[in-house]
Amino acid sequence: MRTLRAWLLRAAGLFHKEQRDRELADEIESNLRMHIDDNVRAGMTPAEAQRQALLKFGGVESTKESYREQRGIPMLETLWQDVRFALRMLRKSASFTAVAVLTLALGVGANTAIFSIVNAVLLHSLPYRDPDRLVRIFFNEPGVGLRDVEFSKPELDDLQTRAGVFEDVTPIFEGTENLTGAKQPERLEAVNGSFSYFSMLGVIPQIGRLFGPQDFAPGFAPLAVISDGLWRRAYGADPNVLGRTIRLDGDPATIIGVLPRGFRHPGPTTSGDVEVFGAGGFSADPFPPPMRGTRILVSGIGRLKPGLTLAQAQARLTAMAAQLRHDFPTDYPPQAQWTIEIQPLQETLVGNVRPMLLVLLGAVILIVFIVSLNIANLLLARASARQQEMAVRLALGASRGRIVRQMLTESMLLSLIGGAAGIATAVGTLGFILRFVPSNVPRLNEVRIDWVVLAFALLISILTGLVFGLAPALHSAKGALSSAIREGGRGSGYNTKTGRLRDVLIVSELAFAVILMVGAGLLLRTLRDLLQENPGFNPTQVVTANTWLGVPNDPKMDPYLGIRGTATFDRELLRRMKAIPGVELAAITSALPTTNTNPSAVGGLANEGFAIEDRPVESSQDLHAERIRISPDYFKVLQATLLRGRSFNEGDEDGKPLVAIVDESTARKYWPTSDPLGRRVRFGKDPTEPWTTVVGIVKDIKNDGLDIDGVPHIYVSTYQDPSKQVSVVVRTSLPATLLEPQIRHEIQSIDPGLPVFNVSSMNGVLDRSLASRRFSADLVGGFAGLAVLLASIGIYGLLAYMVGQRSREIGIRMALGARRGDILRMFLRKGVALAGVGIVAGLVVSASTASMMASLLYGVRPHDPAVFLIVPLLLFAIAVLASYLPARRATKVNPIVALRES
Amino acid sequence: MTAAKSDVRQGTLALMVLKTLQTMGPLHGYGIARRIEQTSGNRLGVNYGTLYPALLKLQQEGYVSSEWGVSDNNRKAKYYKLTQAGRKQVEKEVREWEQTNAILARFLAPGRETQ
Repeated sequence: MRTLRAWLLRAAGLFHKEQRDRELADEIESNLRMHIDDNVRAGMTPAEAQRQALLKFGGVESTKESYREQRGIPMLETLWQDVRFALRMLRKSASFTAVAVLTLALGVGANTAIFSIVNAVLLHSLPYRDPDRLVRIFFNEPGVGLRDVEFSKPELDDLQTRAGVFEDVTPIFEGTENLTGAKQPERLEAVNGSFSYFSMLGVIPQIGRLFGPQDFAPGFAPLAVISDGLWRRAYGADPNVLGRTIRLDGDPATIIGVLPRGFRHPGPTTSGDVEVFGAGGFSADPFPPPMRGTRILVSGIGRLKPGLTLAQAQARLTAMAAQLRHDFPTDYPPQAQWTIEIQPLQETLVGNVRPMLLVLLGAVILIVFIVSLNIANLLLARASARQQEMAVRLALGASRGRIVRQMLTESMLLSLIGGAAGIATAVGTLGFILRFVPSNVPRLNEVRIDWVVLAFALLISILTGLVFGLAPALHSAKGALSSAIREGGRGSGYNTKTGRLRDVLIVSELAFAVILMVGAGLLLRTLRDLLQENPGFNPTQVVTANTWLGVPNDPKMDPYLGIRGTATFDRELLRRMKAIPGVELAAITSALPTTNTNPSAVGGLANEGFAIEDRPVESSQDLHAERIRISPDYFKVLQATLLRGRSFNEGDEDGKPLVAIVDESTARKYWPTSDPLGRRVRFGKDPTEPWTTVVGIVKDIKNDGLDIDGVPHIYVSTYQDPSKQVSVVVRTSLPATLLEPQIRHEIQSIDPGLPVFNVSSMNGVLDRSLASRRFSADLVGGFAGLAVLLASIGIYGLLAYMVGQRSREIGIRMALGARRGDILRMFLRKGVALAGVGIVAGLVVSASTASMMASLLYGVRPHDPAVFLIVPLLLFAIAVLASYLPARRATKVNPIVALRES
Repeated sequence: MTAAKSDVRQGTLALMVLKTLQTMGPLHGYGIARRIEQTSGNRLGVNYGTLYPALLKLQQEGYVSSEWGVSDNNRKAKYYKLTQAGRKQVEKEVREWEQTNAILARFLAPGRETQ
């Protein structure tokens, strides 16, 4: 308490100094007078009395000084002094300050921006109530190598009632729905869950209400909750939207509520936000009767009971799965080892982008290191120039600690100004930067510059300030007094102590640049390899478009009912596509290559189990492939290679023998020693389904992504096994933009209620599938370029400085007969030595850390010899060039001038 | 003459000032210094460079208050006087010093601690 009071008074003592000084002077004056009076009274002459009193009193000024120290807070006052002095120094060397602040702003700004993304995506909790208790539920069959398999309504009920670990669970159907009735039919992303979906997440609607138990329907409830985005776009934010009927895939649904702005479905989305939410009981029409073996549900999320750890819940679920396997042996064949797994919802949402974001964060941190090393170098050069100033200060009695403090204040101030500029840059450009972040990074709408980000930016600024401030500060406090004063700051030689420090800075700068370049090299090589990767077909001159035929809950509402209904549509569509001028050939597929972002979505491309004729039933458990429905000319449009057998033809339709074409991966995996042609397969587990005959083998097409190999695919005829997801591919020399209106017109002439979306060239489709790789490769590549630039500026600056400092020495050497070549070699050798050490150090660090990037690479090993060869050679060449320029300047030194000058 | 005097030991000046103010009542800086020197039998020399900051510290801690007044021989002077808290502090510090002295005395008088 007393101490606090004292400190407050001392803080107050920082103000009204003049008045307080005057009061002290008065007090001293009066006390001195009394002393003199006493002396006079004791019999001294007035002059002697005054002399004795003053003697006794000691130094009045030093008394005042120690009084002031007690009065205020000396640390603060010197700090304020230092800050003012530092500001003056920064203003005096404006160009240095500008360079330092600019590079710092770049470094800190990049750090702030990337960290704000990392913070929102990886660090923040999900924006739901008690997000730590939300989990994604997976059903796995490890015995047959399957993860995230479908589950049945009774299994869902087991989770809810029998497991005892969940407060609530909901199945999730993600998918596409057609919104009709508005101006243009629109394709929306939709989620159908249980009636507790929203209460489980803890969402409060913007207007209206959300689903609750009172809405329960065994099938689907004819109700819809819409997103803020759809509400604004389709209804102009009309508050009377409640009660209106919306048509989704032909089914009428009454809008009961609008979600708050910024609500996002906690699951993967196909191309943007989920905008329509439905709910159902999943146990009656359109769903089959709930049987344990009728696995129709695709994914689920749950909320754990409070106080339960993930491990405890997992243990109970594992035990329950074992019990179920025991109780229902026919539903759970032992070899499948069916089990239940839970994972934090956050992890399933962001786990796949973590490596990329962490690599980007690492890259920007390296950049800010390099920036601060570069500034340290500049400061060190300045410190050498200011040696005389420091020496004079030391000689006048400044303590070394005081000098260090003042130098540190200067660099701290610099780093804080740079940091503030960096934060301002980040705040100003964040929106712009976010536009380049690929859309597969989730939660981008949550990216903010909040106080955590600001604290990080501040920390980075202070750290850089310490890094680049400490070296010159310690150096200037160490200088030998006499020589520094004598040298007068000009210096007649290259101070070895500073020299070594600067060498270390340059070497570390180069090493960091190497690390960044190796990372960038690996990412860029991966990207280049993927761009050159043969997708299994010829993507040029192919235009693609998509529509969704809709899955009405009420079959009477379905204009494309059954195989024949869809086939009729498909044929009409193809006829119209081929009639468009400039279209050579057209075909249909249920899944465009590389667009399968969410396999568990309705219409997504998922692994399906199948059986092979004449093989034991047990072995059929681990047969699975992705089934793609195509029209006869599909392989012709894509110019994919049919290896053997035949393509589909118009005759492969309903009522004719079922046919299939397998790709090489399927053939290799399931018929390793025999010929699949003529063999028969059957999809699903229902033994009454008819067999399908393999009639052809096609070369692998990269359906799941350019970076995914070896997934088995089985193609079937869309006229026999139709799909509601219809993607058109046409071979044409026309650009997609030109064809789009015609494609839209033709499709909507068949059915004005059909949306047409994502019209794009096939190359564009492939390109988009690489968006996140391109983003990280470009960004890290850009940072690497910046690092090389900064590092070469560093080398150049160091050598140029050395040449300046040693011009007299050069002059003497030349006067004594050194040739220009000798001088050139002398400096080149220095630059080459530094570069060599830095590059080797960087390579060693890279080699030991590159494997952390393995998950981001494809077709390139983390220790790719090409990258590890090219990077050092390139950097070495740049370093030699950067040292050659100042070295050549050294040879131009005129010995006579150099010697006379000093 | 001054060389023979020793400086006030660190940490003891504050107590001397407080005790002086307790016995003498309100007093100015010069008076305090003189009084301490006299009380010590001129064995101590008070340095003004430490006296003023010490007085300021005691004020900041709230043990002493000050105001301007007029001295016996009509000079304007700043008078210091003990506050309530200061009086308590004197008692407390005196107690502590006595304790310390007693303990030190046992150490400095060899042989007696065994008894």
